[in-house]
Amino acid sequence: MSAAPALQPGSRRSTLGIDVRALQFAYEGTPVLSDIDLHIAEGEFLCVLGPSGCGKTTLLRLLAGLDLPVAGTISYNGASIQGPSLERGVVFQNYSLFPWLTLSENIELALSKSHPQHDVSWRQAHAQDYLTRVGLGDSSEQYPSLLSGGMQQRGAIARALALGSPVLLMDEPFGALDPINRAKLQDLLLELWASPRKTVVFITHDVEEALYLADRVVVLGSSPGRIIQEIAVPFERPRSRKLFSFREFINLSGHINELFREDVLQRIAADSQSALVRS
Amino acid sequence: MASFGNQSNPAVVSTFSAASQLPVPDVGIAIAPSVYWPKALRLQGKEGVLFIAGVILLWQLISSFSHFSGKYLFPSPLLTAQTLWVSLPELLIGTVYSFLILLPSLAFAISLGVVWGLIVGTTPALNRMFSPFARFASPVPPTIYIPYAIALLPTFHTAAGFVVFIGVFWPVFLNTANGAGALPQHYRDNARVLGLAKVEYLRRVVFPATLPQIFSGINVGLVFAFIMLTVAELFGASKGLGRFVQLYADYADYPRMVAGILYTGVVVWISMEVLERIKKRSLFWLR
Repeated sequence: MSAAPALQPGSRRSTLGIDVRALQFAYEGTPVLSDIDLHIAEGEFLCVLGPSGCGKTTLLRLLAGLDLPVAGTISYNGASIQGPSLERGVVFQNYSLFPWLTLSENIELALSKSHPQHDVSWRQAHAQDYLTRVGLGDSSEQYPSLLSGGMQQRGAIARALALGSPVLLMDEPFGALDPINRAKLQDLLLELWASPRKTVVFITHDVEEALYLADRVVVLGSSPGRIIQEIAVPFERPRSRKLFSFREFINLSGHINELFREDVLQRIAADSQSALVRS
Repeated sequence: MASFGNQSNPAVVSTFSAASQLPVPDVGIAIAPSVYWPKALRLQGKEGVLFIAGVILLWQLISSFSHFSGKYLFPSPLLTAQTLWVSLPELLIGTVYSFLILLPSLAFAISLGVVWGLIVGTTPALNRMFSPFARFASPVPPTIYIPYAIALLPTFHTAAGFVVFIGVFWPVFLNTANGAGALPQHYRDNARVLGLAKVEYLRRVVFPATLPQIFSGINVGLVFAFIMLTVAELFGASKGLGRFVQLYADYADYPRMVAGILYTGVVVWISMEVLERIKKRSLFWLR
């Protein structure tokens, strides 16, 4: 298939942005990620697309600094990532908010670390401002458990944005939402990403979501997780959902699904091979 | 008997008042509950009160038919109630004395158990250091310390306070440390992402996340506190709930003694209810 404009891995290098080189990660001796080479430019919207269990969440944890690589390096703007930092905000799938704090308190707690020079009333106003931006202006005193999954994720996005982090790391943030809420939040995210422009790394297993959101899609294969292909998404912004019926869009998503199918077949072949060797 | 008409047909589920309240296992076979009320009597939900009424009735029967005891060794409910009313001022003063020992010890044991439990539970090195000692010291029945505490400490007040402290500290500490040690990873990740410092992390994340376990520790601790306190008072108090019971046992005034036991039961029950309210309010976010 030549429909996809494939990029050479690591073809665009600069010191700005996130740089991943020869990354290896193993969990208790089992390789999870191998030979990941990736450059994420400042202001880029990158989607990491892969089937369940391919290590895409692990990749995000490594970028966040929650785990450290077994081998290889990850750096941001030239500085090696050794742990979590407020310059890289994280939105988890469904647990970014502490259930014992209101939406506003959740954001205020985060702000007390990112903006220690400001007082409580400034933090409250700032939290209210960002909650309003994500459409939760009236729910700032609510506890997360009383809100729908979609509203909780809006709150999580508000928290990440309020910190003012130049990089946003998102781990399947809309994975647990119904299709209508997911579409709404995708559009909200694109709107918020545009100004002020941030670098976004967005993990998903949804091909359409990746193609709709991203400048570039990195396709991961499994066992161990590795990059199968990088795809520059050719569609103009601002995008609309009419895109889903374009021939080019359909071809591209067909191409990615074909990559996944090949990857699964390869893995089954490898598994039966090793089973034969063992017996 | 029209109102009992449904009894003949146990398959009519709506007549099983118990079915809506008890978790009857669904095994695909109709299970007839062993007890059910005719609808017309409107007794559903009042089973607890009925049982207590039954106990009082039985008590009345036994006390009025017992030849061996006489009414002073096994006082009737009515006599006990009268005695309770008469002794109420003395009992209330005794309650104040008991609570003057109980509350400071309870507060101190809970604070120390929670703080130390949070720190030990989240610090592997401290955990390795303290756990072997805790495993040895915590199962010692705290009542065993009472005679020595009374001998060792200058006043009865401090001795009783000390044994109450021991009884409360261990369950609170162990539950807190276990809860904090088993903190779900996503809370830890979330706190790390925000860059919370250790004290903030303990106060704003680990403490609230561990509250369910802390409350089960306090629950056990409160029961222990009353046991320790009343047992200590049997040994050597001048006033207090346990002392009241012991005093009138020595005088062979059994109506007063039974009244004292009943009253103590009520005090413990109210204390547990208060704790339950506090727990419900604190854990509002748990769903």
